[in-house]
Amino acid sequence: MTERFIHEVRVERPPAAEDAAAARARLAERFPRAALRRMTHLGMLVGAAADGIALGPDDAIVYATSYGETRALEDYLASFPAASPLLFQTSIHPSAVQQVLIGRQQPVARLWPLAGRARLVEQALLAAVLEPAPRVWLTGGEERGTWLLERGVASDRAFAFGLLLAADGDGAAGRLAARPASGPDEPGPTLASFADALAARAPLAWTGGGARWSVEWR
Amino acid sequence: MTANADAAAAGVEALDCLTPFGDAAATAAALLAGRRALAPHPVLGPDGGDPVPLALIGGAMDEPVTPRWLAPARELARRIPAGDWGSAREPVVVTSSNFGVGAMHAFTRDRDARHLAHGTPFAAAARLGRELGWGEHVHVLSHACVTAHLGLALAGRLLHRGFANRVLVFSFDFVSPFVAAGFHSLKILNAAMPAPFAARDSGSIGLGDGAAFAVLAAAPAPLRLEAAALHNEMHHFTSNRPDGAGFTACAVAMAAAARGRRVWIKGHGTGTLEAGRLEAEAWRQAFPDAPLVSWKGSLGHTLGSCGLVELAVAAAALRAGRIPGTVGGEAPSFTANVALGPLAAAGFDAAVLSANAFGGAHASFILAHD
Repeated sequence: MTERFIHEVRVERPPAAEDAAAARARLAERFPRAALRRMTHLGMLVGAAADGIALGPDDAIVYATSYGETRALEDYLASFPAASPLLFQTSIHPSAVQQVLIGRQQPVARLWPLAGRARLVEQALLAAVLEPAPRVWLTGGEERGTWLLERGVASDRAFAFGLLLAADGDGAAGRLAARPASGPDEPGPTLASFADALAARAPLAWTGGGARWSVEWR
Repeated sequence: MTANADAAAAGVEALDCLTPFGDAAATAAALLAGRRALAPHPVLGPDGGDPVPLALIGGAMDEPVTPRWLAPARELARRIPAGDWGSAREPVVVTSSNFGVGAMHAFTRDRDARHLAHGTPFAAAARLGRELGWGEHVHVLSHACVTAHLGLALAGRLLHRGFANRVLVFSFDFVSPFVAAGFHSLKILNAAMPAPFAARDSGSIGLGDGAAFAVLAAAPAPLRLEAAALHNEMHHFTSNRPDGAGFTACAVAMAAAARGRRVWIKGHGTGTLEAGRLEAEAWRQAFPDAPLVSWKGSLGHTLGSCGLVELAVAAAALRAGRIPGTVGGEAPSFTANVALGPLAAAGFDAAVLSANAFGGAHASFILAHD
């Protein structure tokens, strides 16, 4: 069995109508002013989830998002033929995490940015339990698109989550475990339903990828 | 800062790539002959714009509804050994920086909604998986220009922690106006051909199409990937710490892992000035006697796929017995360790392969061989 203990849980679920400007006003105290001006909605949500989480240069991050920087992508495309350098670099995966860590000037050992959809949560948990770093910040989220959402290629809601994982169970709030299992794959949580389960401290269990996955709370 | 390297080795069962020159053997031969795949093309493709150096498979940056990366990916995939790819025990790791993002730009040009079906990373990977008959266990990684290195490192971990028997790592990046215009806007893709590690007045990169795959297993093999080291500076989106500490972090880890071996170094070497200078100096300090080469002056920068494309070329060069030098480089170089001409493979028993990316990401590993 492979396990990691959950020491912090953070979930950001802003009002459905919130856009980047509203988030910028709501979260103004959380980020340096110079960095805040250029942050995307997803970057602010991921950063708010990580607020107060002190990471060190030997720690690692696993980041999961299916759509990433949707609004920067939409705005970058609108800037053609005079392509915007700022929107280009902001649209590139994994910009949201980089916005936060560059704002903090916080180096990390390893960053695993996952951009799948089917079994994305399971794969993010797998990357986290494979990581030997003393602490792993498992984070992810989405921002709401506009015209890409109308075309079905963007998230319909904005959210972010973060879990601080470590090998030490003292004082932990929960436990993530993977036990070898040979059964057929079961549907795992989506990124959004995973965030909702974290917010509710709801237990999770499913079989996938040759393992029985569980998230339990103390 | 020092990056910690993963200790376990992964054996390479199969490996190949596709560039404008052809497969890995043809690409290595072209590099040994000093040929450039890069040629001037309009930065906006059919919409014109400034000429910039691009190395394109098929010779044009068009954007049809059927993505132009699909046929080359199919061609390359014919060389992948048979397997239950995408199953729990034989997962696939797809690595790219672009995936199908060029389709998003294509949609804004012609408003054909069919482009959007493969515009996101997961949709592009799913399209590839349907074409190639993969199952559901496909990991999709995207970390700009170190993505392939990450994919290889993740594969090594899956193998050594018992989560997989074999792993297929598949990488593809094809240039589109989306990405060419982006690098042009950052003023690092301009009319000049790249001259990696050359001490000249202005720097420039080229961009290239490329795809590659590797089948990795835990069992030892004549070719082995060892000591994957990763580090993220998080200093600036598009520049590195001026003291070069990010480059040094991986270089020091590689020097420790390669102690006692005679190595050559396949650097990142895109043709930018500041990053090139910091990179060359970091390798010179960590490996005073090891020659440093870059192939992006010929192939262009294949972005998230460069780590796997250039690994396949390195393996082919080892089989051929000669290692291409820094094609497109010119004297004076930043440091004396830069090798402009080819090297005899017989003088070495391992290589260090390295890549860097936006955000100050660094990734290196050792290619060991019998």
